[in-house]
Amino acid sequence: MLYYLIVCRSLTYAQRTTAALERAGVTAQTLRSPKSISGEGCSHCVRVPAYALNEALSILHRAGLDPKRVFSALSDGSYEEVRLI
Amino acid sequence: MIYLDSAATTLQKPGSVARAMCRAITTMASPGRGGHPAANSAAQVAFDCREEAARLFGLENPEHVVFTCNATHALNIAIKSLIKAGDTVLISGYEHNAVTRPLSAMEGVTVKVADGMLFSPEDMLERFDRLLTPEVNAVVCTHVSNVFGYILPIDKIACLCQERRVPLIVDASQSAGCLPVDMGRWKAAFVAMPGHKGLYGPQGTGLLLCGAPVRPIMEGGTGSESLLQQMPDFLPDRLEAGTHNIPGICGLLEGLRFVARRGVESIGRHEAQLIGQMAKGLSGIPGVHVFHAPRHQSGVLSFTVDGFDCEQVGQLLAAGGIAVRCGLHCAPFAHRTAGTLQTGTVRASVSAFNTKYDMDRLIGAVKQIVSKQ
Repeated sequence: MLYYLIVCRSLTYAQRTTAALERAGVTAQTLRSPKSISGEGCSHCVRVPAYALNEALSILHRAGLDPKRVFSALSDGSYEEVRLI
Repeated sequence: MIYLDSAATTLQKPGSVARAMCRAITTMASPGRGGHPAANSAAQVAFDCREEAARLFGLENPEHVVFTCNATHALNIAIKSLIKAGDTVLISGYEHNAVTRPLSAMEGVTVKVADGMLFSPEDMLERFDRLLTPEVNAVVCTHVSNVFGYILPIDKIACLCQERRVPLIVDASQSAGCLPVDMGRWKAAFVAMPGHKGLYGPQGTGLLLCGAPVRPIMEGGTGSESLLQQMPDFLPDRLEAGTHNIPGICGLLEGLRFVARRGVESIGRHEAQLIGQMAKGLSGIPGVHVFHAPRHQSGVLSFTVDGFDCEQVGQLLAAGGIAVRCGLHCAPFAHRTAGTLQTGTVRASVSAFNTKYDMDRLIGAVKQIVSKQ
């Protein structure tokens, strides 16, 4: 597992998510979602390093930016949805 | 040229505006439409612009800042989102056609007008208080009259709307950038503003600040939820179909940064001082009638000259290198309320870039026109 993708409802929401994480010191990057996880067509996501997911989720919760869906990137290039509790 | 038509469009912009637009047109593509650097840099500029506007206008969430073509576009979205056939709407007597024409085009909408005396906020408030009755579904009010620079008591009108739970649309076309515009304090349903006036952005830009559910007036691609045949149900995508005006947004961002650096109150104070100087000089000229009230006026001043058609004054000033605007200024309601519908007025309006010298030039030119009569 290399990194996580936090899928967002819009580009602007993804940018807000990235900005909140970066302000808190977590490396984050806004990307277009891979087709296989993009849901209703084109969407955007935020990439965070694997080690930073828990911290990222708590930062986003505090900022009122709870993610819609989160996927982990697997070594074979596929993605697996992470259940958020 | 002495440019005194900033109530229409500010001509003098910070140098950074043109430079940013030039950079955008050569290096940026479209936000959200690709993952390449040209799309990403466009997306970053759009986001930075939303954040800057949210900070300046008291909005917590930059997603509620929507890009439009101008204030008219923004007002159309606001009005058509909030008001439906059969509704009753209360407006001030100083509204621009950007408000009154969309309302007039809607079938079955009753419009009540609070036509308070010019430069009398107490009178305006009293009329709003009286006319804001239970059948009123929405209020649309300009913050500043584009004809007279009259600052309406919008804080108190917003309080009345909150008390009576009536949604408020504010037209901040003449106030954004020179008076505090605070979406949070007003709890407005919508605030509409152009980018090309007091925000020093380019023509073809505007902003709609959203605090209520919206209805798109245009549908199309948004770069999101592409499988669906309905517009996305989230902002800003719901209202931003089609390719963005990225050079315009890039310029607007620099304009917003200029306003934030210089300070809204500092710009407002500068403009009010210039208007005071202009009013004093013009009112000393025989036959010139000046519409001025120091405590209730922003950077816009109207006047008439006995024996001259207002357009004639405008032409003579233009020939002398001074740019003003004459006529009804797309605001017949304001002229009707103030009693200048038959004559129109000459309007001189200032920006952060005007100087005392500009005011002296205008005063001198009007003196010359009158003396040649």
